[in-house]
Amino acid sequence: MTRRLATLIAPVVFLLALLYAWTLAADAKLVNPLWFPGPERSFAKLGEWIATGALWSPLASTVWRMLAGWLAACAVGIALGAAIASSPLARRLLQPSAEFLRPLPASALLPPAILVLGFSNAMIVSVVAFGCVWPVLLAAIHGFGALDARLVEVARLLNFTPWQRAWKFQLPSALPHIFAGMRVSIAIALIVTVASEMLSSQPGIGYLMLVAARAFRSTDIFAGIIVLGALGFLINYGTQRLEGRLLRWR
Amino acid sequence: MLEARGLSVSFGAQPVLRDIDLTVAEHEFVCVVGPSGCGKTTLLRALAGLTPISSGSALFKGRPVIAPQTELAVVFQDYARALLPWRTVAGNVALALEARNIPASDHAARIAPLLAKLGLSGDGDKFPSQLSGGMQQRLQIARCLAQEPEVLLMDEPFGSLDAITRQQLQDEVARLAKEEKRTVLFITHDLEEAIYLGDRVIALARVKGNLAGRIAEIVDIALPRPRQQLATREDPRFLQYRHRLFRHLE
Ligand SMILES: Nc1ncnc2c1ncn2[C@@H]1O[C@H](COP(=O)(O)OP(=O)(O)OP(=O)(O)O)[C@@H](O)[C@H]1O
Ligand SMILES: [Mg+2]
Repeated sequence: MTRRLATLIAPVVFLLALLYAWTLAADAKLVNPLWFPGPERSFAKLGEWIATGALWSPLASTVWRMLAGWLAACAVGIALGAAIASSPLARRLLQPSAEFLRPLPASALLPPAILVLGFSNAMIVSVVAFGCVWPVLLAAIHGFGALDARLVEVARLLNFTPWQRAWKFQLPSALPHIFAGMRVSIAIALIVTVASEMLSSQPGIGYLMLVAARAFRSTDIFAGIIVLGALGFLINYGTQRLEGRLLRWR
Repeated sequence: MLEARGLSVSFGAQPVLRDIDLTVAEHEFVCVVGPSGCGKTTLLRALAGLTPISSGSALFKGRPVIAPQTELAVVFQDYARALLPWRTVAGNVALALEARNIPASDHAARIAPLLAKLGLSGDGDKFPSQLSGGMQQRLQIARCLAQEPEVLLMDEPFGSLDAITRQQLQDEVARLAKEEKRTVLFITHDLEEAIYLGDRVIALARVKGNLAGRIAEIVDIALPRPRQQLATREDPRFLQYRHRLFRHLE
């Protein structure tokens, strides 16, 4: 009990210590306070955003783009991964293109995406999806191919069709791998969303911070960083909970 | 019911089984014994349609077995690998019902009596990882029975269980085979187990020189049923059978 309490409290204490270090650094005025505000002013700015409601619209845009891109990437990654793992034809067909596209940084795709889709949500969502499809795809290829040979025989003995085999055997056995890939992907999704907003001037938390930087409003930048950090934290917590529920058998 | 005619299996240039002729009649309990590596598992897999036959044939009801079919259920020795770890006990049994396209609304009513029969009544919601080895093997047997096969092919099903669990399961399987009127081909390397369970015992041995397995002797077991662990094993005829078959295991 005391141990559990300790493991719960320790990270909070560490976070508070970090905030305190930030305060000390800001108070020491190593950097001009105009460019480097302490936590007090940063959180005050965040409070102001919440009070005036200025936070919600950009936050909603950012979250929406990130989740839409991520979910699209997950769907495409799982489907393609299943196809590549199950069919030699699909593998020969798709793998070379995938190897060509994979090393491309997502930001390199922004200019062509803007040309084709314009300055739109759809543009950012597709760039985000492109950026975070790879971990899910690789995990799915591996996961779908890793079904135990004995279970392959059980599926054969019960006369399941290839579709039933994929749904009842391969997908559940691949799920732990896929979840690991999805968790890597969601972090990439947040990064690419914010970067895309900055590069394409689409309203969102990333753009908010860019505009703040141009206007030398440093507290806005730091408030933005706090929001992004909290967002990442919540997403990780959410996926972990979901994973715990779906992978209860482990 | 189940038949091998001049059945031979080779892996590459290596012959593993040569000219096997055997017949298992309806409702008969036939045991196959033999030393390690003589081809017992290969014989069972060939009869189940899992391993391709080099020459001769495996027949089920007079028709060649070229691929697995649901009328032939296989109980594997490595029960832990043969169960779906992400499904509960009830879910694992349901797998066989799904294979037979039985509507989901009927599953509960069919699963309950099967679990009761195998002493797993209270464990329907557990996952395989929460069961002991003996319970996991019971579960695999329950799933095979849910398949309502005409023939049960069992490959050293109790090989990795402790002596007490083993005797319990021997009696359960003997009882189920008679109650449910199943035909059973039971592989074991334990001679006493074979005599205790079988209506007939087939001794498999390796041919000197080329190492391929062939049938050394077939013995009808005229011990009365139901058999009892102590009384049956002390029966003078039991000892005679044991004496007679023992030389094939060297
Ligand atoms: N997939 C395979 N490829 C090549 N050789 C194989 C394969 N499976 C089995 N063998 C060989 O065939 C022979 C018979 O193997 P099998 O598994 O049928 O023996 P077994 O009688 O079941 O032995 P045990 O009692 O140890 O289970 C062995 O020499 C083995 O090395
Ligand atoms: Mg074997």
